[in-house]
Amino acid sequence: MPEALPETTRPRGAFGLRAALAVLGGVLLMALMGMTVTDVIGRYLFNAPLRGATELTELLLAAVVFLGLPAVALADEHVTVDLVTDRMPAAVKPWRGAATGLFSAVVLAVVAWRVWVYAAQIGGYGGTTTTLAIPIAPLGYFCAVCTGFGALLTALVPAHALIRHLKGH
Amino acid sequence: NWLPPSHPLVSELIVPMTEQIAEATGGEVTANILPAPLGPPQAHFDFAVNGVADITFGVQGYNPGRFKTTNIVELPFLGDSAENISVAYWRVFDEMLRDAGEYDDVKVLAVFSHGPGEIFLKSGEVSEPDVLQGVKLRVGGGIVHEVASALGAVPVEGPSSKAYELLSQGVADGILFPYESVNFFKLIPQLDEAISVPGGLYNTSFYIVMNKAKWESLDPEQQDAIDTVTGEALARMAGQMWDAADAAGKAAMEGEIAITPATEAQLSAWEGALTPLVQAKLDEAAETGVDAEAAFDMLKAEIAKEAAE
Amino acid sequence: MESWPVGMAILGVLLLVGVPISMALAGVGLVGVASIIGWTPALSLLGSAFFDNGRDYSLSVLPLFLMMGNFVVQSGIAEELYKSAYAWLRHRKGGLATATVIACGAFSSVCGSSMATAATMTRIALPSMRRYGYPDRLSTASIAAGGTLGILIPPSVILVFYGIMTQQDIGKLFLAGLIPGLIGIIGYTIAVRITLVTQKIDLPVEPKLPFLDRIRALKGTAGALILFVFVMGGIYLGVFTPTESAGMGAGGAFLLVLLSGRFSREKMIAVLYDTMKTTSMMFFILFGALTFTNYVNMSGMTRDIQAALSVFGDTPMMTILVMLCIYLVLGCVLESLSMIMLTVPVFYPIVAAQGIDLIWFGIFVVMVTEISYITPPVGMNAFVLRSVVPDVRLGTIFGGLAPFVAMDVLRVALLTAFPGLVLLLT
Ligand code: NA
Ligand code: NA
Repeated sequence: MPEALPETTRPRGAFGLRAALAVLGGVLLMALMGMTVTDVIGRYLFNAPLRGATELTELLLAAVVFLGLPAVALADEHVTVDLVTDRMPAAVKPWRGAATGLFSAVVLAVVAWRVWVYAAQIGGYGGTTTTLAIPIAPLGYFCAVCTGFGALLTALVPAHALIRHLKGH
Repeated sequence: NWLPPSHPLVSELIVPMTEQIAEATGGEVTANILPAPLGPPQAHFDFAVNGVADITFGVQGYNPGRFKTTNIVELPFLGDSAENISVAYWRVFDEMLRDAGEYDDVKVLAVFSHGPGEIFLKSGEVSEPDVLQGVKLRVGGGIVHEVASALGAVPVEGPSSKAYELLSQGVADGILFPYESVNFFKLIPQLDEAISVPGGLYNTSFYIVMNKAKWESLDPEQQDAIDTVTGEALARMAGQMWDAADAAGKAAMEGEIAITPATEAQLSAWEGALTPLVQAKLDEAAETGVDAEAAFDMLKAEIAKEAAE
Repeated sequence: MESWPVGMAILGVLLLVGVPISMALAGVGLVGVASIIGWTPALSLLGSAFFDNGRDYSLSVLPLFLMMGNFVVQSGIAEELYKSAYAWLRHRKGGLATATVIACGAFSSVCGSSMATAATMTRIALPSMRRYGYPDRLSTASIAAGGTLGILIPPSVILVFYGIMTQQDIGKLFLAGLIPGLIGIIGYTIAVRITLVTQKIDLPVEPKLPFLDRIRALKGTAGALILFVFVMGGIYLGVFTPTESAGMGAGGAFLLVLLSGRFSREKMIAVLYDTMKTTSMMFFILFGALTFTNYVNMSGMTRDIQAALSVFGDTPMMTILVMLCIYLVLGCVLESLSMIMLTVPVFYPIVAAQGIDLIWFGIFVVMVTEISYITPPVGMNAFVLRSVVPDVRLGTIFGGLAPFVAMDVLRVALLTAFPGLVLLLT
């Protein structure tokens, strides 16, 4: 288990958000697992594999990956190269964190925007999955929203830490 | 470019095409082939739309829901020669299917078809009419999935790259594929029997398209020059390329896979089973506003005309 | 005008000031691509890189194997497993690290991904090694290095990629990976010894247990063994594919948690939340790497390397030597899959023209990729460990990996000198 940041350093409301993400993510992951199990068992016991299991797996995978981003941001667990940063003086750290957080948030915001535009494009020609013909665009919008949310948190969490630092906590 | 450089589609079609374009325009228009793909196969049509790349190629079926007119060429029993089908397909496209507007965001250099899909099995009584009943067949999706279901087989889904895994693990008992693909994905050691279906069980439609803004930036002479080496000429070259690749695939199967022609009984059973699917696919194509029945008739007539030559 | 050295330099600076790896790769990749093909297409490429690759079926093994590992931890099997391993190896110095390497090798025979192997083994092996007082330097390195075996010992995602790109028989490639994989395990075992000696690590050595007690200690492995046989047997008997085995394994592990009586809703949610976070973290690095790869692809870096390569001699040995150097350098900075996607299409025609066996070259490529997983600054397996245990510094992990990397380089040298070892089983 990763060592979580102490609750006190987190923005308020983080706890409720985390619970919501955890429940939704848990359901998606269990569905991902259940699908393979159903597909394999169905194939052998009833000679009837789950129709569209491959594409449902793909959709669920994307949902989990993007839903996880706000969770990563909330815990400030983006992986960094710490060869140099660990040797920086303590007073610099919150500033550096806020600056890199802002940089990442800008990148993520651009990603969110482009995934949204791409989803609209797919929606424009009625893009669907192969077998079950599930529209893909709504998933794209969901991923874009998650990314946007992740961008916001990626900027806010280190900014919050900086403010607390300035207030002398 | 999402295929390895050694794939015949790249080495024997895309590379010669860029050379011919350069030659036809007197070296004014040249294309560079990127060493690695920019994204997964399904993204390539949009790469041309958005100008990420100037020219891209791919399979319409990778974007389900986007191209409905491709249904017409993917139907069973159309013919044994990819060249004939591709040339006929281009003519039908040029005359009728273009109006569906599916390709309005790009300049189409060619649409063409892969060689026909056949049946490959690990084992089985290949002459029995119910040889496919309950057999697990690996399918890619789209019409192949529906063909397999209609023939009474159990479709096992998976990308082409997983076909080897599915067969070698025994998860699938067989596969619907063209000769070329069985060879390309190294499936020959996994398979012992093949049933060749006259006219094929399905076809796969491909496109080669160019970014529209790029096309419009060329002067009319350059455009005319490119038109002379693309369109029907390019579709023909593509079909010939697939026919050669299928022949090579078939040759590689010599002594490894026993190829048995489908029996009369099998054919009549399968034709009956697939008739509703053909109708459903034509109806779907008609949703785009083109006269699908007429297009299908024209396609068959053009294939017959080509075959007669 | 070639911009890629500039891009590489900017990437290096961003990484050093602590910008997340995923975001540095994506940012530099985006701006780099835009500088070549313009902003409009570059931006649409970005959308595709994130959304299309996020829906890649073959990548679904990652969350599922992570989930399986997380459930196995919750079921208490990991502790039992390491208790018994310790019973067998406690009289040896560093016995648990050796056991970890061997367990990584065993796990690699059911998992085709190095990152998933490292992630799963971290959850199983690290808590135990910490409990027995192993320094993080040794324990994280043995997992990160052992995890690389995931792509060498069959099944292997990378070998499938390679086989398709170069039209080589995937079955033969899998067989060819076995002996190098075993040599890898031996090499890492030696690396553990080297670490113990050079670092003067004094781990407690306990008296050897009587044989009967050691047999009795095996009881604790029953759960893991059943799961292992279920997953591995399932694959080898053809009941399900390695990809499906991830889902079945997760299902089996979940069942074990239920049976162990340790199930609680809070724990369950914590496990799944953690799985989702790690999955997302890894995928965003992959997306960033793929965006950056597009830039490298367009910037002419590949072409420049090809040109540079032809300057060196014409003998096969010289070619391999030069490629080895290139891979070692590229492996430091590039994400592993991107490195393969980028180099194999360029290199394999050159290699084939030299008359070098392409099955052998596939194993060579995988071995250098294994090295890329564990070399700084971009070493995916070290990142995986770091994401699972954020309290360990990357410097510690990379530092501990030095002897393991050395053994890897030795192994490449050995198998280059004696290619027959690779081709023996094919
Ligand atoms: Na493996
Ligand atoms: Na590296």
